Amino acid sequence: MVEKLSLNQKIEKLDAEVEWFYSDEFELEDAVPRYKEAAKLAKEIEKDLNELKNEIEVLTEDFSK
Amino acid sequence: MTSNNSFSSRSHSRLSLQGSFEQASRWSPRSENELFDAFSPTEFISVVNQTLEYAYSSVMIVGEVASFKVNQGKWVFFDIKDEEASISCFMTLWSLRVPLEDGMKVVVRAVPKLTKWGKFSLTVSAVQPVGEGSLKKAYEMLKKKLTAEGLFDAAKKRSLPEDLTKLGVISSTQAAGYADFVKIMNARWGGIKVQVAHTQVQGMDAPDQIIRALRYFNERAEVQVITILRGGGSADDLACFNDEALVREIAGSRIPVITGIGHEVDESLSDLAADVRASTPSNVAEMLTKNRAEVSSEISRMMSRMRQILIQQVEQAMDVNRDKVARISRGLVVKYIEPMLESNKAKMTQLLQKIRGEVTFFTKALQDKLKLVEALNPEKVLRQGYAIVSGKISLGMLIKIITMNNEIEAEVKKVKERK
Repeated sequence: MVEKLSLNQKIEKLDAEVEWFYSDEFELEDAVPRYKEAAKLAKEIEKDLNELKNEIEVLTEDFSK
Repeated sequence: MTSNNSFSSRSHSRLSLQGSFEQASRWSPRSENELFDAFSPTEFISVVNQTLEYAYSSVMIVGEVASFKVNQGKWVFFDIKDEEASISCFMTLWSLRVPLEDGMKVVVRAVPKLTKWGKFSLTVSAVQPVGEGSLKKAYEMLKKKLTAEGLFDAAKKRSLPEDLTKLGVISSTQAAGYADFVKIMNARWGGIKVQVAHTQVQGMDAPDQIIRALRYFNERAEVQVITILRGGGSADDLACFNDEALVREIAGSRIPVITGIGHEVDESLSDLAADVRASTPSNVAEMLTKNRAEVSSEISRMMSRMRQILIQQVEQAMDVNRDKVARISRGLVVKYIEPMLESNKAKMTQLLQKIRGEVTFFTKALQDKLKLVEALNPEKVLRQGYAIVSGKISLGMLIKIITMNNEIEAEVKKVKERK
């Protein structure tokens, strides 16, 4: 079962793909499928960014006492 | 001091009978019963203190400090005065959370009481400087003291976590500073669980409330960072953040603390004690979170860079292949096409030569024929001086004689054969 990545993990993974494109390990044959995967990841990141919300809870504790 | 019920009942009845000062001054005991109902000094002081406690359970008094001293390292004595009056004040040293000295203008929260020696004084529970001058003085004194203790050392500062998911906020939820912080944080980023401890953020009660909130978060250890927020205000409004106990609590927090108090120019001792200082509550939100718009732009840039690299590599590969094709093509041309062309060229040359030969031959033949035709041309004969005679050659007949320049019509007069 594929573990669901957090937003930060997805960004790190995309960063790693960019690094590969700049690295000596770059191979043209692998580049196109990797680019397609990266584009898919970028789209997921955009979706996650749009949906990201904070949870704000005001404590009921009374700090005046 | 507490009083028993008999004192209470007599105190009320005596006070109701006492009436005005004039009445009291005309009074003199007339019987032993009246003497029996009189207060002892201890009782009276107790009654007065009860009354004071009932009427003034807590009173705020502003005045100037005078005769400030600390006894036995535990007890603080000073007078609070104005131009016409002065009241003695007493408090414990641990309750004194700001440095005081004579001449400072302060506000005290106190309970008035009569001591057993009949002296009126205030038992002070809290004191705070008021006015810019006193506040600045107290600030400088405390800053010097705490700096010497190393509370503000840079080496003690901790950095904020990069991946913030749990945040503790200490602020007044009714304050504009808090609202600004929430607005900016929600716009910039999400996915953070925020626990908010609602406290006062100005006034005498604020430091203790903030301290309780700090201890709450530290005891539970559920958040990665604690932030203390308060919007802009006057020096008096922000004075609570120079409370010694609060400053020490911040410095001793196990969880990193970031403060966003007042504006850029307002530096409090709480700011100095914190791990990170932001200039305003909004700035706290900016320092704690990434900006999703910037992240989105960066993602686009990353994809663009990958595309560029891919295109460059493909073009390079195409160039390499073009060269290869060119080399191969040249090889083929050299090996097969050029020889073929050479061979055809020879044939063509031969053919051409043959054609030229034919043309030359026929040209010459034609020229010869032309010369012959030219030679037989009658005009040529005429130009040589001869004439052409045409017509029937018999006597009396008309004949035509054509010379180079004329056409003559003549009659035949005589015909003779040539031998």
